[in-house]
Amino acid sequence: METNNKDKLLKDFFSNYKQEIADNGFTAHVMQKLPEETYRGWIVWIFAAIGMALTFYIGLQSGLVDHLLVLFKHVPVYYIIGGVFCFPLLGTAGFYFSQTKDYHLI
Amino acid sequence: MSNTDDIRWVTQVALLGDKNAFDKLTCKYQSPIRRFFLNLTAGDGPLSDDLAQETFIKAYLNITAFKGLSGFSTWLYRIAYNVYYDSVRAQKHYEDIDESVIDNQHHTLNEFSAEKMDIYKALKMLRKEEQTAVLLFYMEDKTHKEIARIMNCPLGTAKTYILKGKERLTVYLTKAGYGN
Repeated sequence: METNNKDKLLKDFFSNYKQEIADNGFTAHVMQKLPEETYRGWIVWIFAAIGMALTFYIGLQSGLVDHLLVLFKHVPVYYIIGGVFCFPLLGTAGFYFSQTKDYHLI
Repeated sequence: MSNTDDIRWVTQVALLGDKNAFDKLTCKYQSPIRRFFLNLTAGDGPLSDDLAQETFIKAYLNITAFKGLSGFSTWLYRIAYNVYYDSVRAQKHYEDIDESVIDNQHHTLNEFSAEKMDIYKALKMLRKEEQTAVLLFYMEDKTHKEIARIMNCPLGTAKTYILKGKERLTVYLTKAGYGN
């Protein structure tokens, strides 16, 4: 028998016996057996705080903050107000798209 | 559900210890892993469920060791393979006992077993490594490279297992009237 025929024979044979096994509480049983873990969300906050502290430090050292303050002084105030008012709009739009990502527009 | 979902869930488990994310991973992979064990144990449902449970618990405990070099599925099968061979090695203490007698007395068949005897008989023709490689290739649709990673052997060795398994199975199945 040729290799292709052998492959086909075996593929047909195994696909004939391939079955999806229903969960029947298996996942719940595994989850019950998992050891208790302490909450590790604080890791994210620690790294965020370190990152922000580093940014401020480097910003102060390099004079970036001073430059930004000078820049803000030269920006017309209505630009800043306009920018601030944009945040809720962008936030709402972002939230809407994140919630509807599973839907398709027809 | 894509591999991107797997990576996201693995990250949530590894970084935040998020059990809901692991629940999703278990739910997604319980069927292929249990099927893999069911075929390796010739239809022993309770044993395959125990091995599958051990696999998922080990995956949870060692999830930080997952480097993402291969897919999560491949990594999970690697653990399953180790769990299965640990169990085989543990059973070797009882090698002297007549296996067929034990099988007849204690063999637990699942609801599909009666109609699946052919596949179990066919797989019994093969060596353990060949069984694993053939199942991964023909039943679980893994590539040669993935099989080599799962079995932790060179690519050529994995190919040889599949080739030898294929030859033996073809002879057996042809004699049994398949493919006529």
